[in-house]
Amino acid sequence: MAERRKADRTAATRGSRQAADKLAFLLALVPYLMDHDRVSVSEVAKHFGVSEAEIREAVNLIAVSGIPGSTGTYQHNDLFDVAWDDFLDNDQIVLTNLVAIDESPRFSGREAAALIAGLQYLSALPENTDRSAIATLMAKLSRGASAAPTQLAVEDTATDATLAIIRECVAAGVQVEFNYRGSRGDTEQRRVDPLRIESLDADWYVRGWCHLREAVRTFRLDRISDPRRTDEPITHHSQDVALPDALFEGSLGDLEVTLELSSSALPLLEDYIRDNPVTLLGESRVRTVISVSHLHGLKRLVTGMPGVVTVVQPQEARDAVADWAAAGAAQYR
Amino acid sequence: MTDKSGAALRVPVEERLFSLVLALLATETGLTKHEILSTVQGYRQRYNNSGDNANLERQFERDKDDIRELGVPLETIDDPSQSGNNQNLRYRIPRGSYELPTDITFSAEETTLLNLAAMVWREGSLSDESRRALLKLRSLGLQADQPVLSYAARNRVRESTFEPLNTALERNSTVSFSYLKPGEAHARKRTADPHALIQHQGRWHLYAMQDGVPKTFLLRRITSPVTQTGKTFSPPPGDQAEVALRELEALWNSRSATVQVVPGSDAATRLLKRRGTEADGSTLTLHYADANILADELTGYGPEVLVVAPPELREAVRERLEQTTDQHIGDHREEAHRG
Repeated sequence: MAERRKADRTAATRGSRQAADKLAFLLALVPYLMDHDRVSVSEVAKHFGVSEAEIREAVNLIAVSGIPGSTGTYQHNDLFDVAWDDFLDNDQIVLTNLVAIDESPRFSGREAAALIAGLQYLSALPENTDRSAIATLMAKLSRGASAAPTQLAVEDTATDATLAIIRECVAAGVQVEFNYRGSRGDTEQRRVDPLRIESLDADWYVRGWCHLREAVRTFRLDRISDPRRTDEPITHHSQDVALPDALFEGSLGDLEVTLELSSSALPLLEDYIRDNPVTLLGESRVRTVISVSHLHGLKRLVTGMPGVVTVVQPQEARDAVADWAAAGAAQYR
Repeated sequence: MTDKSGAALRVPVEERLFSLVLALLATETGLTKHEILSTVQGYRQRYNNSGDNANLERQFERDKDDIRELGVPLETIDDPSQSGNNQNLRYRIPRGSYELPTDITFSAEETTLLNLAAMVWREGSLSDESRRALLKLRSLGLQADQPVLSYAARNRVRESTFEPLNTALERNSTVSFSYLKPGEAHARKRTADPHALIQHQGRWHLYAMQDGVPKTFLLRRITSPVTQTGKTFSPPPGDQAEVALRELEALWNSRSATVQVVPGSDAATRLLKRRGTEADGSTLTLHYADANILADELTGYGPEVLVVAPPELREAVRERLEQTTDQHIGDHREEAHRG
């Protein structure tokens, strides 16, 4: 019963969020249409990055909307109107009567804050060194918000030479070459079509097509040495290869390891757990399975979350972690 | 939920919300709740002229929240001659606070940068909010001067407590949560006024006032859901996020540890690239803001790192290594979790 109520409530929340999204879209679309005397459905769809069907649905709604007016009865003059023949026969949008809306809406305080924090994060990147341009932009966002932006900030990290070279290669669409030290301890020369740079916590990663492995791979920037820009154009583009959302999916192995951990640590391992089932053991303890390519990576991962994660099986995985930690502890005796 | 009398006349939610915004933008003096419920599209169809409209009034309250959530400045005006009588409250959306000032424009380069900034946030509320902000830029007819999809830098917020804290921050609401302080065995309940959320060294921190003392909490160590206590506070003036970042930065610079690394090892490669690291052969000096986070990080390197100083850090790493060894020696003990 309680479950059911909870499900209903969740569905209601989702429904109201969808309606709010649609409202935000309508409030953005109207001023755009006002600025364009005549515009095709396909052009509007392309500009806003939505389907043509969504544009037609929105225009149909706008055309019957308006204000109650002095009579409180929505008279014709109090409603938006479109040139129906143009719309229905030629897929062209021409607003013929306007109501209530004159300009685009301001940003909300949270929207402005999200973009400002995004800009702070970007300002760490080598090609965004024009700090004064970024500062001007932040000030505009604050002034264009309907409330003071919420207090969010992202540390302005120092730029890194490896990051700079890889960003250059991504932007130029050329391959990058570097020495990569794997978590097994081996170093190999890699040639990569760099497609995307991502960070997770304090760590930076480059993701792309690895010519040595002939597959999509994720590389930690702090394991890269001697990066070199090449003149060779990339052969695999981001639209050709699917970059999975999880960082390590492309390089996950088939070694399955059962873990017990505190439920609050689940988000930290989500890229390894993916769709594997999570079983509740107690109030805040869970058991799940992760897939890794080898025990060298696993022992570092588990030991780096001390007291939080315990390996249940296989035995060889428990042994690898125990040996690694014991070898570390032995130095202190 | 189901309102049988109105089911046949149901107007889509977005149409009701859109109609409400239009009506409130068009009024100078504001509309009373009665006027809204009896005339605005989506309400009027369900309005009962002679009877009880409690359901509809609750609907109106939720709609106001949804609209405000989008940043629409929906205002309530109290009639001073009949203060306290909420039937006489008037509602409006003042044009000046709603409309983006016409002198705010963005160049194509700026639009590209804002598109990149929006793409930084991969998931969660920051991503939703960025997306809505971009929608407003497109409303102005703005296009980026170059496609940005291929070379976006992305950052993730993994802590589930981020969203409720961000909401509390916006509403100046006092919050409570359980917090596991480093070095303590059990989490304790904290009640604090959130002043800023900041990301430092890739980790999100809450800067908050607890019993009149400014405190920094690591989001990852919050072990319970965050709840709003119902109390609000007046936010302090000034850029609190900036203050909080400066404090963490000062802490980072003032604390340092000395470690020895195995030459050529993963620890040597990666720790050398940590911000602010200085090397003298295989002896490295590392900076940190939180000894427990650094201890966790160094523990992961096992035998590749030996902590020399400070003694608390050395002890913390040794303890962690021994604990991890104990937990993994021999067979896994099922009975440990049975009771």
